[in-house]
Amino acid sequence: MQSLDIISVNIWQILVSLINLVLLFLIVKKFLYKPVKKMLVDRQANIDKKYSDAEEARNKALEDQKSYEEKLSAAQEEADGVIQSAVDTAKAREKEIIADAKQKAEGIVTKAENDAKLAILKAEDSIRREIIDVSTVLTEKVLEREISEDDHKNFIDSFIDNIGDGDE
Amino acid sequence: MKTNLKFKIIDIIYIVMMALPIAFSIVLKVLTNPPSEGISISGAKIFLEIPMPLQNFIISESQINSAMVLITIFFFCLYMTHGLSDKIELKRQHFAELIVEKVDGLIKENMGDYFSGYAPFIIAIMALSAFSSLLSLFALYPPTSDINIVGGWAILVFALITYYKLKGGLLNYLKGFTEPIFVMLPLNILGEVATPVSLAFRHYGNVLSGSVIAVLISAALGGVSSMVLSWLPGTLASFPLFQVGIPAVLSIYFDVFSGCMQAFIFAMLTMLNISGGFDMEAFEKRRLKKAQKALKNK
Repeated sequence: MQSLDIISVNIWQILVSLINLVLLFLIVKKFLYKPVKKMLVDRQANIDKKYSDAEEARNKALEDQKSYEEKLSAAQEEADGVIQSAVDTAKAREKEIIADAKQKAEGIVTKAENDAKLAILKAEDSIRREIIDVSTVLTEKVLEREISEDDHKNFIDSFIDNIGDGDE
Repeated sequence: MKTNLKFKIIDIIYIVMMALPIAFSIVLKVLTNPPSEGISISGAKIFLEIPMPLQNFIISESQINSAMVLITIFFFCLYMTHGLSDKIELKRQHFAELIVEKVDGLIKENMGDYFSGYAPFIIAIMALSAFSSLLSLFALYPPTSDINIVGGWAILVFALITYYKLKGGLLNYLKGFTEPIFVMLPLNILGEVATPVSLAFRHYGNVLSGSVIAVLISAALGGVSSMVLSWLPGTLASFPLFQVGIPAVLSIYFDVFSGCMQAFIFAMLTMLNISGGFDMEAFEKRRLKKAQKALKNK
């Protein structure tokens, strides 16, 4: 079989090889470069999207946190207010109750004093009467004579008054 | 998820289609090339000659082999991008991304952003050149050691260089030949023509010299082994002892390293020449002028 010389220029061979290179360029472009490039772009877009999503989520979380903190502080204030008002009410009630109690105690004391005074008066009265009766009887018996009742009564009254004064 | 049966079958078809053209070339070589003794260095074998104007259209070994490389690379591309997805599911995707990103980076570095569309072209040049040179690993005739094949690429590159030079305006292009002084005109023209010629001959010469040296060393090693073992009786005397292993080591340099190196150099020079010939400022000026003219006409 025939061989070419080591250096032999043939225009058609050159042309064919040129066309081959162009053909291969088209093949590589269509079947290797473009799909890989497209995939890379897709991946980049995907990653960018994920990053922006994450950023968005982070911003949202920060916003939420802020609003929660606001709410929390508002709730704190409200709670403080409630406690304050409760304390105020309690103090007012306390004063009221104490005043009430004082009033009642005073009432009780006054009543007790009045009762005691009344009892003293009653006792004085009954003692006086008894003494009068007894002394009347005794005097009648001792003297065996009539003493005017009025004189006697006056005498006894003054006596008892003296006694009562001494007691008091 | 993507490793179902259909996917695997398509994968296997791609791999088989990648291997088939090379197997075809090997079979063709075995059928048409009887084993020869001694040193024989010749060009590509001629399979068919078709009469055409100017010169006969020759279908030679290098044409067939380069067509086979074309088919192999085509299926290689298909295989690499098969099952491509956002999330990396296949190991081959790393390689595909590596190729694309490296070449993109190379172009950005050497040519600038204006030429970013050149990535597939550079990948094509590199792949075609490297695969063609690596065919010699299969004991096939590497198409890159045929001046016609490499010459075709160089002429295409030259056309591109001239196209980008003309973008700065025809007058600018012609004026460029008389710089810095008019006397330099013949030298400049020579330099312009020398670009594709040097591109083609550098690549072609390197690959061919690799094959020549491989043949010479192989023959020499055969001679040495027959000399050393000549005292042995019978067929043992002609046992090619030194031809075992040593040519394989040398072929790592002459076939693999040199082949890939030349592919890279060819691509690199293509990039530098195309972007170097392009005068961005003149192009911008010209475009501005055109736009102004168009505005005036309106």
